Amino acid sequence: MSRQSGWLTKILPFPSDDIESPKVRDIGYRRFTRGLCVLLTVLVLVPLIIISVLSHSQYHQLLKDEELDQLVLNLEEAQSTIEAFVGELKSVVKFIGSSDCYKKLLNSEDLEDILVRLQKEYPGFVDIQVIDSNAKQKAYAGPYELRSHNYTNQLWYQEVLQRGVSISHVFSGFRDIPHFVIAVSRNTTEGQAKCVLRATINASTLQEFIDTINSGYADDLFLVDAMQVAQTKPEKYGVLGGGCVLHDKYTPVDPDSSLHVSDNDKILVDSPGIVVFQRKFEGQRINHAVADLLDTPWKLVLVKEQYLYANSWMLFKIRLITIFLTCTIVAVFVIVEISHALTTHIRESDKARQQLYSEAEHSNKLASIGRFAAGVAHEINNPLAIINQKAGLVQDLMEFSEDFSNKDIMEEAVGGIQGSVERCKTITHRLLGFARQTDVVTEEIDVNEILREVVEFLAKEATYNQIKIEFNLCNDVRKIWSTRGPLQQVFLNIINNAIDAIGNGGTILLSSKQINEETLQVTIVDDGPGMPKDVLAHIFEPFFTTKETGKGTGLGLSITYGLVKKLGGSIKVKSKPGKGTIFRIALPVKHSESERFNSKIQGD
Amino acid sequence: MIDSKVLIIDDEIEFASTLCQRLKLRGVAAIDVHSGTEGLVSLVKMNPGIVILDLKMPDMSGLDVLAKIKEHDPTIEVIMLTGHGSAGSGVEARDKGAFDYIMKPVDLVELVDKMKMADEKRSKA
Repeated sequence: MSRQSGWLTKILPFPSDDIESPKVRDIGYRRFTRGLCVLLTVLVLVPLIIISVLSHSQYHQLLKDEELDQLVLNLEEAQSTIEAFVGELKSVVKFIGSSDCYKKLLNSEDLEDILVRLQKEYPGFVDIQVIDSNAKQKAYAGPYELRSHNYTNQLWYQEVLQRGVSISHVFSGFRDIPHFVIAVSRNTTEGQAKCVLRATINASTLQEFIDTINSGYADDLFLVDAMQVAQTKPEKYGVLGGGCVLHDKYTPVDPDSSLHVSDNDKILVDSPGIVVFQRKFEGQRINHAVADLLDTPWKLVLVKEQYLYANSWMLFKIRLITIFLTCTIVAVFVIVEISHALTTHIRESDKARQQLYSEAEHSNKLASIGRFAAGVAHEINNPLAIINQKAGLVQDLMEFSEDFSNKDIMEEAVGGIQGSVERCKTITHRLLGFARQTDVVTEEIDVNEILREVVEFLAKEATYNQIKIEFNLCNDVRKIWSTRGPLQQVFLNIINNAIDAIGNGGTILLSSKQINEETLQVTIVDDGPGMPKDVLAHIFEPFFTTKETGKGTGLGLSITYGLVKKLGGSIKVKSKPGKGTIFRIALPVKHSESERFNSKIQGD
Repeated sequence: MIDSKVLIIDDEIEFASTLCQRLKLRGVAAIDVHSGTEGLVSLVKMNPGIVILDLKMPDMSGLDVLAKIKEHDPTIEVIMLTGHGSAGSGVEARDKGAFDYIMKPVDLVELVDKMKMADEKRSKA
């Protein structure tokens, strides 16, 4: 039998079909189940795991890139907006400085007038101050008295003279209100000397502007100066006027910010002037992006919690793992079930095949025994006939001769020989009667006689087991038109089962009676252990047996059932656990089916 | 009394001769032969009224011999000897023209009864 190809056998050992010991076969089946489970699990899970891991990492990378792009985009937008805003303020101050004639600027009333008009458009402007080339205040418009300062040595003054424009940090100064300064220089009307126009702007303007551009994308958006001092109010990562907590306080952050953080944290992006750090802050992973603002002393800081470490990503991961685990459990469950079902199926078909095989072997054996018995009976029959005739001759001769000494003793002896021959004859006849079942002829049969014959065959076994077989036969039963062999088999099977069921010590009662003109009933009652309902429901099914493996084929009663049906009769069984079992077989006196049955058997 | 001559055909010599002797003791004119061919020869020679014929013989089967006998003279009555298991063959032989069959080992009284009936049948015909 080649049920398998070579390579598969190594992975999956098929249960052996040879009839070995049941233990060895059981191990084979178990190994097969296990192998099948493992093979199917590997086949299902390996691709599942590969796909899950691959798609997870791919998606992770994609999200990471996407997140970074989004961050940079937002930062750039904010950067350009703020640059534009600051540029606008700068332009306004420049415009004032350039368009009005120097004299008009020096006139306090005119300057006041300019401030009022300016404040109409830009409420953030606090005051305007004009400083001459000697760094002395020339004119002032605004709420404060700032008359006596000399600005020569101040950094912003130097810067303004050098670059033409300067924007200061946010500071409170002696006003106690945070503000910053935009200063521009211009030529005075008297030759090369330069004067400076200095406008103070309330820091809240900057704050309001930052608040409006933070659309909610960022967790925090604020300005710091070169010293990492917050210029607008951070939500979480620092305090206004204090250091940004993401950098060491007052550590100058150069364009090359990487000096202050490890290289691993820094991500280089394509946009110039933007640096992104990934770091942990208070247990949270955040993206910390810093952008330079052109022509200002400020840097824009954007902080955003990393999506990949946020709850929603964790939830996604948990869901993914849950789905994966559920799939795995379901797959494994189904695989185990399928493997078991498959093995059970194979086991059952193997069992059925073996039973058929052993049944065939059994009937083959029976047939051989039958033929052998028939041969022996025949062989013995011939010498028996001779002995019979010789003894008969001696008897005849003695009858015709006169008395001689010991004649009576000799007559008795010959009579004994005749009697023994008679006994031998019944034995050979019985043997032939049973053995030659192929010689089925439909004939008139005395059921009582058949019952007696069958019991004679089982008598020895019954005696060994202390089982009494009793008869309650009605002598008035009609002879039935039937076939001897099948009828014998029917009774033999049932009585044999009864003997097996009783085991040791018990009684079997056989009775016959005519229940009506056309039907005769044989009842076989045993006082054995009986059968529970669930067994009773299956006893006529092929291969159903309660006997130990190898002892019963599970075919006896199913054959019996078939035979009774073919003989045109019916069979009924009643049983109670602990009480015993009753078989009732009804047989027709005349049955046309038996003719057909007969011819069919002969045809076989 | 049985008037017809009786021919016994059986390959079992001891059986045939003893049966023949016993019939002779009962005043029956009987002859025994021990094969089918021999039997057919004797048939012409002695012209028996009744033949006792074994069903199983090595050279010819009893049924073949029966057919030959009936072909030769349909009035000859044949009683077949069968083993128990071949009762079916006995029935078959009866269908093919044998007067009756009797199972071995033979009960002489029964055999003589059947021979008498066969003889009566012949004398009536």
